[in-house]
Amino acid sequence: MTVDTTVSRSPWARVKGIWAARKVLALLIRRDLKVKYASSALGYVWAVLDPLLMAGVYWFVFTQIFQRLDVGAEPYIVFLVAGLLPWQWFTGAVNTSGRALNASAKLIRAQNLPREIWVLRPVLAGAVSYVFALPVLALFVVVYGAGVTWYVLLMPVAMLVMIVLLTGIGLLLAPLIVLIKDLDPIVNVVVRLLFYASPIIYSHRDLPPGYEWASVANPLNGILGMFRAAFFPDQLQVSGALTATAISFGFLAVGWLVFARLERTVLKEI
Amino acid sequence: MSSEVVRPPVDHDAPPIIEVEGLSLRFHKSRRHRSIRDLLFKGQTGVRAGEFWALDDVSFSVQPGEAIGVVGANGQGKSTLLKALTGTLLPDQGSVKVHGGISPLIEITGGFVGELTVRENIQVVSGLHGMSRREIDAAFDEIVEFAEIASSLDSPYKHLSSGMKVRVAFAVVSRLEEPIMLVDEVLAVGDRAFREKCWDRIEEMLAEGRTFFLVSHSERDLTRFCTRGLYMQAGRVTMDGPIEEVVEAYLKDSDDNLALRRHEVRQRRQARREAREAAIREQAAADAERDREADES
Repeated sequence: MTVDTTVSRSPWARVKGIWAARKVLALLIRRDLKVKYASSALGYVWAVLDPLLMAGVYWFVFTQIFQRLDVGAEPYIVFLVAGLLPWQWFTGAVNTSGRALNASAKLIRAQNLPREIWVLRPVLAGAVSYVFALPVLALFVVVYGAGVTWYVLLMPVAMLVMIVLLTGIGLLLAPLIVLIKDLDPIVNVVVRLLFYASPIIYSHRDLPPGYEWASVANPLNGILGMFRAAFFPDQLQVSGALTATAISFGFLAVGWLVFARLERTVLKEI
Repeated sequence: MSSEVVRPPVDHDAPPIIEVEGLSLRFHKSRRHRSIRDLLFKGQTGVRAGEFWALDDVSFSVQPGEAIGVVGANGQGKSTLLKALTGTLLPDQGSVKVHGGISPLIEITGGFVGELTVRENIQVVSGLHGMSRREIDAAFDEIVEFAEIASSLDSPYKHLSSGMKVRVAFAVVSRLEEPIMLVDEVLAVGDRAFREKCWDRIEEMLAEGRTFFLVSHSERDLTRFCTRGLYMQAGRVTMDGPIEEVVEAYLKDSDDNLALRRHEVRQRRQARREAREAAIREQAAADAERDREADES
């Protein structure tokens, strides 16, 4: 192993560095999941309870109180769970990866690992948690008799695009949150607004005329469409999925650039 | 060889294992708000007000198997230098080339998690430092024995006392088979018996011919383990030579400083006393004047 900090490292050298640290990354993720699932008696239940409770609440509000049966798609509870699980991944990863450099400061100071892995760690841990929660989704699908189509093959694609998007956002936010103190609460607010701005409790088809641009501009729209296509093929919006992929890779490029540029400064501040 | 430790001779014709050239690192004196625009689009060049160079044009190279003691008063850049060597700080100017892995005995408790048990922590942290599953299994018993922790292997790490935490951490990090070893005053904690055990372990590693960096203020430890010294003052290496000479220069400087400080304190006390006496004299003169005036009237 050779440490060479002579020049700012090329993107290729960075990729190789991350690949070399893949075992450490896997170890960190395993440790995170262990802490999450093994540290309390209800471990796994807690992990899926949050989206299930939220799904229950929205189901009650829209179908029982407002008596709206045309929102989203039928069965609405499956529609909700299929959207809330990826959303939980998204919000968890954005919040954690944004604070990742501050939170892991001790380890970062102690060891020369590629700094990108602190961002990748919550993103990939979220992916694993999402997969762990899939049996619950399957249960709802079976109980409520939603059909499964071949579009289920889009789910791994959706996960990949989600990973790209989240990594990009994380790489962008993590160094900025270290250097700019006010950014963390702003991110919190934006993420909360994004929940209502994304087709999670409603479908992109429910957007009133004149707001179609919103579904194209928001990468979550296309990604959620791919996640749901297995059970709700009509939720898949091809243009949305393509722009979401493009935007996600855009985020990754910009995020990585900012991350590489600020790394040196950030290391002194943590 | 000046140190007391038996070790293989240093091959001075071998290619250096560490090459540091013109290494400079800049810090802010205070946390200052920068605008996003500043950060993203302005370069990092040019010294700004409120900045100082923690490392200033440092150059040296190290042969495999050398044992180097870094001396200097607090805040002169010793720890910054070690961090630049591990790569946890990146140089603003110049370069650091390290050909080989490093066992950093710096902030050794960094990877431990309070929620996990001691056993799980030992496995995870060894893995974090790049040990394979098999290596961990092979070293596990030795680590436990060294840390004398067998009885609390399955209690959460956070229940250990701070001294015990350092023991476990040292036991793990000192098991790494890296050719370079950096030690930064980590051994200040821990009781005396354990400290001695740690030094014995370090001695063992030195005997295997590892390259060694030690930051310390202890004249005894420095001369016991090191052969070469780097004296750091205000971010520069002002002296690079045999450890005895470097330690002597450092002690002389700090003695001088101490003497100077004592001298200053004495002078200040003297000045205060004189001022007090002058005030008393003045008061007495004024009193006498008043008495005389009273007598005259």
